[in-house]
Amino acid sequence: MSLAISIEELTFTYQGAERAALRNIRGQIEEGTFVAVMGHGGAGKSTLCCSLNSLVPRFFRGEYQGRVLIKGEEVAQHQVAEMSRHVGFVFQDFEAQLFSTNVELEMAFGPENHCLPREEIGRRIERYLRFTGLENLRNREPSSLSGGQKQRLAIGSVLALEPKVLVMDEPTTDLDPLGRQEVLSVSKSIQEEGRVLLIVDHEPETAVTADQVWLIRDGQLVSKGAPSEILADVAAMESCGIRTLPTVELFHSLNWPGTPLTVEAAIEIIENHHLAQRVGSKVKTAPSGYLRGFPVLKAEELRYIYPTHRVEALRGVDLNIYEGEFIAILGQNGSGKTTLVKHFNGLLKPTCGRIMVQNKSSTEYTHRELARLVGYVFQNPDHQIFARTVADEVGFGLKMRGETPKMIGKRVAETLEVVGLQGYEQKVPFALTKGERQRVAVASVLAAQPRVIILDEPTTGLDYRHQRNMMEMLRRLNQIGHTIIIITHSMWVAAEYAARTIVMKDGGILSDGPTRAVFGDEARLAEASLCPPSLVRLSNWLGMEGLTVEQMVKELKTG
Amino acid sequence: MNIFLYLDKDTWIHRLDPRTKMIGVVMIFCICLCFNHPLYMAAISVGILLIAISAKALLNFWRLRFILFLLIAFSTVTWPFFAKGPTPLWSLGSLHASQESLLYGIAMGLRLATFVGTGLIFLSTTRNEELTNGLIRMGCPYSIAFALSTALRLVPTFAGAGATIIQAQVSRGLDLETGNIFSRVSKFIPQAVPLFIYAIRHTNLLAMALESKGFSPESKRTFYYEPRMRVIDYLVLAFLTAIFAILLYARVGLHLGVVIPGRL
Repeated sequence: MSLAISIEELTFTYQGAERAALRNIRGQIEEGTFVAVMGHGGAGKSTLCCSLNSLVPRFFRGEYQGRVLIKGEEVAQHQVAEMSRHVGFVFQDFEAQLFSTNVELEMAFGPENHCLPREEIGRRIERYLRFTGLENLRNREPSSLSGGQKQRLAIGSVLALEPKVLVMDEPTTDLDPLGRQEVLSVSKSIQEEGRVLLIVDHEPETAVTADQVWLIRDGQLVSKGAPSEILADVAAMESCGIRTLPTVELFHSLNWPGTPLTVEAAIEIIENHHLAQRVGSKVKTAPSGYLRGFPVLKAEELRYIYPTHRVEALRGVDLNIYEGEFIAILGQNGSGKTTLVKHFNGLLKPTCGRIMVQNKSSTEYTHRELARLVGYVFQNPDHQIFARTVADEVGFGLKMRGETPKMIGKRVAETLEVVGLQGYEQKVPFALTKGERQRVAVASVLAAQPRVIILDEPTTGLDYRHQRNMMEMLRRLNQIGHTIIIITHSMWVAAEYAARTIVMKDGGILSDGPTRAVFGDEARLAEASLCPPSLVRLSNWLGMEGLTVEQMVKELKTG
Repeated sequence: MNIFLYLDKDTWIHRLDPRTKMIGVVMIFCICLCFNHPLYMAAISVGILLIAISAKALLNFWRLRFILFLLIAFSTVTWPFFAKGPTPLWSLGSLHASQESLLYGIAMGLRLATFVGTGLIFLSTTRNEELTNGLIRMGCPYSIAFALSTALRLVPTFAGAGATIIQAQVSRGLDLETGNIFSRVSKFIPQAVPLFIYAIRHTNLLAMALESKGFSPESKRTFYYEPRMRVIDYLVLAFLTAIFAILLYARVGLHLGVVIPGRL
């Protein structure tokens, strides 16, 4: 096999930055290899990706040392556009990279730039439409596609240039579970075609099928090797701020032999070594410790039709949400999750049926009153951050309400402490990390002290450490009495933190109950194209109650 | 949110060369300038409406019905006070309106609505790529043509982001329903700043994505959809030229279709 990529002592410092983003990276990738790159946020993963098609140092300027060779050509000597013959690049944000007015033209864009003859462009469009499974959508406007389809189109439009190397920088981060599966299955066929595939991803499950895993920490390549070696190294994974595979962690904690990367492997080891007894009985579905009492939010026969699309987004939803609950809402995009929760704070008005907030119809509240009772944190903190300091940002809602500066200052300080940003008052919000900006957004909603806080995908786009911090913070808020509702695509987040889980499908509620019971019914989840996290699947198989590694360890040791 | 104007249909207007459509729009604009009598103007408007029907673009007219209606109404109400005619109709203090100026106002309203309607037909039947292609083949430098079509392309994207930003700010207490003009201006900042930053991020990323797909504004490229001038294109252009010539003669030579002479 010949060498496709060779990185030699690469060091790069962004213009104006003090610290190097990449330091002495050394690595070689042979043709037809699938490399998974993992690391904490800000570790330099994206910079590494950009250095492969000369975005670093051509687009992002800075101090560049060392060499990157692709097929023997030195990358930094070429323009980005020239490198596109060898290296395809797929970005996380699938909205921004799609540009054309229909699917076919999007596929044609790259080959057009390369002045290929029209017949050849036509052939490539056919080929890669089939490859990405989009042949029936060729005349659709890209903005009308689902997230998974958009990202597949983005991959296809890059593949149409037939590059030898395909780089994907967090291609699945913004996708729902179904879209994630779609993209991963496309990347599998790319791997089979013999191209070099380099994927950055936060989920250790993606790396299981890779040929090589690279771990990056603070700009340095700390280790690389086969997945069975790297993913099994709990200490190294933790030091890089990556979530460890729960099956590996479980076996590690129990001192069981082997390091199973998948549930199937774990089951095999358990059976061969007779490590645990399967409990025949099904998971208990009794609502143990389930909060009841006063319903703070209530949906009655709620229907909603979007005026522009004339699609029924909610088809008669009945739901009670009680004071002090911690709820996760799961479901694919377009299943009605966001439409449902936007009714709770009055952003949408029911077409039919009604919403009761503290036993009063939501239509009887003004917008302001409702915003005080029910806070809503949007998915992207950058959609709301505008102020010069964190204090102004967090105090914005209070100021709009006409509170005194003294009162605002006091409340802002309290709120920042709750979200773990004490002392950040005078910092510039734009200069914070994504995880911190997300907290500022939560704080700005929290400052109004709403009883219910709704968060739309609070962990999306954060690395594992920040995801944990975020969820621990929400748990604290829940413990001091706030009702928390999160919309999430992350199954382990729901399994570990939510007491109650609601699964939505096609504008209706598919299942609703204690999280353990909802995740216990794998067939029902599959109807919504969802799959419980691997640890819960193992727990289901064993017939256990536990949803987290700690719970399962405890259960297995006592039982 | 779908606020793209292009309607993916297959009509004879969709199939026209983008150059024909661009020149055609300019000629229709000229035709609209021929008369200032509402009846004559209305005939032209009806003609445009017929074209819209055959282009299956009425949906967009329906979507923008308020704007079209407002243009006519606003023009009808305000023009009478600025144009001057011989037959007095109504006066209040220093404001005078005449019969002719009222008719003139109606004609101007129809003219503006027809301008907008013509543009709407153009945008409903022409892809962004075709527009770029047409501009380049008419001698416009690629970078300028590309910038123009990108600007058009990004309008709906930014409008969508703007809607989300407003919802996010309203959710944390931004009150857009009350307040005087000054306090409303100050409320503009929480909406404008995130949108501005979004726009910078988005265009930056777009630039990266385009370059990564081999785009460079100086070099040559092929066009997968290559429109050609066909017989029908020349027929359409000849027909429009003939109409324009006849109407120009009617106005200048025969003095038809005029309520206030000396005005366009």
